[in-house]
Amino acid sequence: MTTLPELTERLCRISREHFIDPFSRLEWPETLDRDQWFMSPELISLHGTEHFDSMSEEQQQLLSFFEIVNFFSINIHGERMLIEGLAKRLYRKHTEVVSPYLHHFLDEENKHMFYFGRFCNQYAGKVYAEKKLTVEREYAEGEEEFLFFARAMLFEEMVDVYNRRMAKDQQLVPLSREINWLHHFEEARHLAFGRRLVEELYATHGAGWPDNVRRRITDELVQFLEATWKEFFNPEVYKDAGLPDAYALRREVLADESVAARRIALCTRCARTLLKVGLLSEECIQ
Amino acid sequence: MSNEAGIRDALRQWIADTNGKAGTTDLADDTPLFRNGILKSVQVSDLILYIEELAERAVDVEQIKPGVFRDINSIYRNFFAGNHA
Repeated sequence: MTTLPELTERLCRISREHFIDPFSRLEWPETLDRDQWFMSPELISLHGTEHFDSMSEEQQQLLSFFEIVNFFSINIHGERMLIEGLAKRLYRKHTEVVSPYLHHFLDEENKHMFYFGRFCNQYAGKVYAEKKLTVEREYAEGEEEFLFFARAMLFEEMVDVYNRRMAKDQQLVPLSREINWLHHFEEARHLAFGRRLVEELYATHGAGWPDNVRRRITDELVQFLEATWKEFFNPEVYKDAGLPDAYALRREVLADESVAARRIALCTRCARTLLKVGLLSEECIQ
Repeated sequence: MSNEAGIRDALRQWIADTNGKAGTTDLADDTPLFRNGILKSVQVSDLILYIEELAERAVDVEQIKPGVFRDINSIYRNFFAGNHA
């Protein structure tokens, strides 16, 4: 298996050789008509429910516009959390080996936030607000570090499933497809790094955690997955798309069997590194 | 919903349902929700959306101060009693 220093060196080289300038790469039309597909229909939060089926294609496309703005907003907030955490970890004793790659990671995440932010502000006039807060608590040895990188990995795994599918979807507005492709292209490296680092951190600290700490970490990660998934069901999106009873709609859709099945399939896929090391089980994701 | 007792009861019921083990009778207005492990930090998003639904207005998360979700009293005082976060 490639060691972490070897992987770090390889990823640094690829980041240098495949540098992408998003400021000149993307073409930004002044306005975008909303009667087009911005998000793949099968990725829209209401897809598979009777609510979606009862909408006209025009209504579905309008919803797809606000859903992509929500998806990009989720990315902005997730990447801001990541940038804050990565910056704090630069050149600390335990991150000396990976610090060279953290520079690329930070640089690339900052650029991602630029295009996500520009899309949201230019075409929707806003970024949807984040509704998350962290409650401070004490951590066991290595727990905070592990949770930071494990959460970052789960978040990136989840958004990458969406990016990959939309990067290939020819029915989407070209700018939406291109942003998804660009993000996936660089996130693939971040994911390779994140998976390896999470395995390494677990190998370093996992054996020393008592059962109650392991249970706490497992619970937090399962809940993080669920909370991240729920961010895709934003009542503000439903209001903006003209759908009535937005909060009740969110509750109803989240309880829908087909939506729950999608959640389980997606979360199981995103958690495969944690399933592999044995910290999570398929049962706890149900 | 504008009735204080109704709002407190609705919050209590939501917290009990979200916890899954605590009953509404276990939840006094001053029971610490996070310190006692009744709610977890990842459940704050759902709590905020529920508060928005009850208050019929958006919560500005950037203006939220520490302690606003400490217990039902704090939630009521900060989001429903005219001193909005």
